[in-house]
Amino acid sequence: MPYTTFNRNEFDTFAQPMFFGEQVNVARYDQQKHKIFENLIEKQLSFFWRPEEVDLTNDRKDFLDLPEHEQHIFVSNLKYQTLLDSVQGRSPNVAFLPVVSLPELETWIETWSFSETIHSRSYTHIVRNIVPNPAVIFDDITRNEHITRRAVSVTQYYDAFIELSCWYQQLGEGTHTINGEVVEVTMHELKRRLYLTLVSVNVLEAIRFYVSFACSFAFAERAKMEGNAKIIKLIARDEALHLTGTQHMLQIIARGKDDAEFADIAEECKADVVRIFKEAAQQEKDWAEYLFKDGSMIGLNKDILCQYVEYITNQRIAALGFDRIFEARSNPLPWINSWLNSDNVQVAPQESEISSYLVGAIDSEVDTSDFGDFDL
Amino acid sequence: MKALNKRREELPGQSASSNDNDWFELDGRSNDQPDFDLEPSSAESADEQRQAELYLPENDPEHPEPTPQLELDGMAPAIYSVMLSDGREARFQYANNLLESLEAQNIDVHFQCREGYCGSCRARLLSGEVHYTSEPMAWINDDEVLLCCCIPRGPIQLELLN
Repeated sequence: MPYTTFNRNEFDTFAQPMFFGEQVNVARYDQQKHKIFENLIEKQLSFFWRPEEVDLTNDRKDFLDLPEHEQHIFVSNLKYQTLLDSVQGRSPNVAFLPVVSLPELETWIETWSFSETIHSRSYTHIVRNIVPNPAVIFDDITRNEHITRRAVSVTQYYDAFIELSCWYQQLGEGTHTINGEVVEVTMHELKRRLYLTLVSVNVLEAIRFYVSFACSFAFAERAKMEGNAKIIKLIARDEALHLTGTQHMLQIIARGKDDAEFADIAEECKADVVRIFKEAAQQEKDWAEYLFKDGSMIGLNKDILCQYVEYITNQRIAALGFDRIFEARSNPLPWINSWLNSDNVQVAPQESEISSYLVGAIDSEVDTSDFGDFDL
Repeated sequence: MKALNKRREELPGQSASSNDNDWFELDGRSNDQPDFDLEPSSAESADEQRQAELYLPENDPEHPEPTPQLELDGMAPAIYSVMLSDGREARFQYANNLLESLEAQNIDVHFQCREGYCGSCRARLLSGEVHYTSEPMAWINDDEVLLCCCIPRGPIQLELLN
């Protein structure tokens, strides 16, 4: 099944599954099998923002004033976010586009990845503002063992799927001997790896990102690094949408709404899904340990972050129709809601830093005591 | 300035020649005003705690303030009962959506985006029917509703999922 950039077959769009059907040809949106992806594209486009809109000059002062262990928390968190968005900025394109069969889904995947590239650019914007030499932070992402360990768990499902999918595109189904190694390519295994990849993407967007958001917002909750929190807020708004997109894909597959074989595979993978969620939760807890190794910060410590990991993992796995993994609990970080709420997002540059917007403003509050020394 | 002087002369019980330092210019600087800097000397964020504000409606969505519009008898929205599976009871009349209505009645519901795409306020609809005021984008199962973008069409029973 060699990949072609323009499939010349004629086929019925509505008969195509999301993946592994006919390859797409005309990018037309008049016939849509799953209209939701069109809605997601529209929404994502309406969210468009640029990192430069947010002024970070105060963040530099804030960062220099932070104690060393808080600088460690901030920078490590930022490195982790950079890693996650580096992966998400390219992997959905590389992995899913060659096997997608619906034009609206294809365009959603491209729109989705594109918005992740904005996130990546915003990390550079943040890093440039807080340290004189950005390379110090970026270079460490591939060197620091705590970060690279995370990179493995984030990318292993993508890589396993892409490897098999490449053989499938070049050689088709069957048993092949490649460089002396026997590779078996079956549709069943391809779909299984694709499903697990989608689950791991869901975990990345629904749990890993949210844990990192909690750290960013914890600084802003103390009125530190507020420009950074503004940017993360815009990122969080996008991620909530991506998460919805992935949940739709997973649920459409699991409910057999477009491919009966895929539904069986989803059923078969149920234990794997629980395992992926459990592993991710454990990895996030280990990460919390590393973040707070030199000390906690006001409002957030290792225990609270671990509780948040359990809470958010329960939420996300329940959304996919699974039982909760951890003991049910209420949100240990209730203030995070106001940071995650999109009504609260303002992107007008003159208002994006509230403090500077108020410089030179007039205090219009008048009290009777103000007239105390006033006589006629 | 002339007009101001004239005004001063007219004030009862005061003579124009008395206390010269009493006199001020409407648009000038007073002599006790300190110098001020356009730019603050220190980072403003250090001075006070500023928390993220959540701009939820200040008024109670279920008890709207009276409007100057004519009241039409019998035209008030119907009141529907909203029963929760844990036994709590609420009613829906004026609010824009079920999420607002429940919050106004002190029932905590998980939320994030409040506009139908994040799926945080998903709840199970045990009985009754709802009407979506805007199209929900988040994934919802057949027996579930998204509270942030629907209103009841009659008495309903809900199970909150958080």
